[in-house]
Amino acid sequence: MSTGYKRVSGDAVEYEVFARKARVDPLHLVGSVVAPDADLAMAYARATYDEERWCEMAIVRKDDVIRLWSPGET
Amino acid sequence: MSLSDLVLSLADNKQMLGLRYAEWATRAPSLEADIAAAAMGLDDLGHSRVLYGCLEPLGADPREPERESDAGAIRNLAYFDEPWTEWSQFVAANAILDTSFTLMIESCVGGSVEVLRHRLRKMLMEERYHFLHGRSWLRSGIDNTALVRAWQEALEFFGPPDGEVEQLHREGKLAVGPAELRTRLEEQLETKAPKVTVHWNLWDPKRRRTAEGAIDEHTFGMLRGLEEKKYAPPTAKQAAS
Repeated sequence: MSTGYKRVSGDAVEYEVFARKARVDPLHLVGSVVAPDADLAMAYARATYDEERWCEMAIVRKDDVIRLWSPGET
Repeated sequence: MSLSDLVLSLADNKQMLGLRYAEWATRAPSLEADIAAAAMGLDDLGHSRVLYGCLEPLGADPREPERESDAGAIRNLAYFDEPWTEWSQFVAANAILDTSFTLMIESCVGGSVEVLRHRLRKMLMEERYHFLHGRSWLRSGIDNTALVRAWQEALEFFGPPDGEVEQLHREGKLAVGPAELRTRLEEQLETKAPKVTVHWNLWDPKRRRTAEGAIDEHTFGMLRGLEEKKYAPPTAKQAAS
């Protein structure tokens, strides 16, 4: 069996996964996936977090989140 | 050959694709890929159930009694005969064969047969994620052997240029014929099919393949429930006999 897929480690980035069950709910963070591109991240997010009946799911690159402050900095 | 024969081929291939995906649920290159393999396996096994369920409303059920005893009566492509030993085989099946089946299902949904138009539509939504998964891994570059074999078998699955798929297209039961199916596959995967020659004189219209052979004994036994019986406790065996 082949091993050593560089895109699993070196090329991969983390994506945060957001979802909500009803239109009135806010999107909330349900988890994250690691993938080398957005296409694969979408496929992984759907496969990993599809156990509930979400009406909306979205992903965002963790690097693109602009943090105002983090735990311990307030 | 009838539309029922084509739907049975789709059902058998989806069932085998689902089983082969599932075999990689703990062997893929990452945890996410493991989970995706399991999820896509479940999807395709579910799709095969829906497709089998369409056979009765379509009319004469083409499933023959030999399916119970002869693995060669199962209408799967040769690609699924044996478990895959390389991740590149998984990726080529995911990107090329899974997408080929989706294109054929799209053709059914766009055709004039009501039961297929309605029952198969939901599959297309789920298949979107199979496609994204397959295309992304394909872009990363995989072994050419698996790639060429998958393309060859995709073209065999679409059938000869003037065969029954083309005839069903002319009758309006399918939205597109084999030539358009190939074009759409190339467009979706953003690549041209490699140069392959299909020997249509060797092509089996029921199994939609040129190669002889059949699924491995273990998998066939599992499909028939024999593997499950083998591991049953002695009391259960006595009760069954």
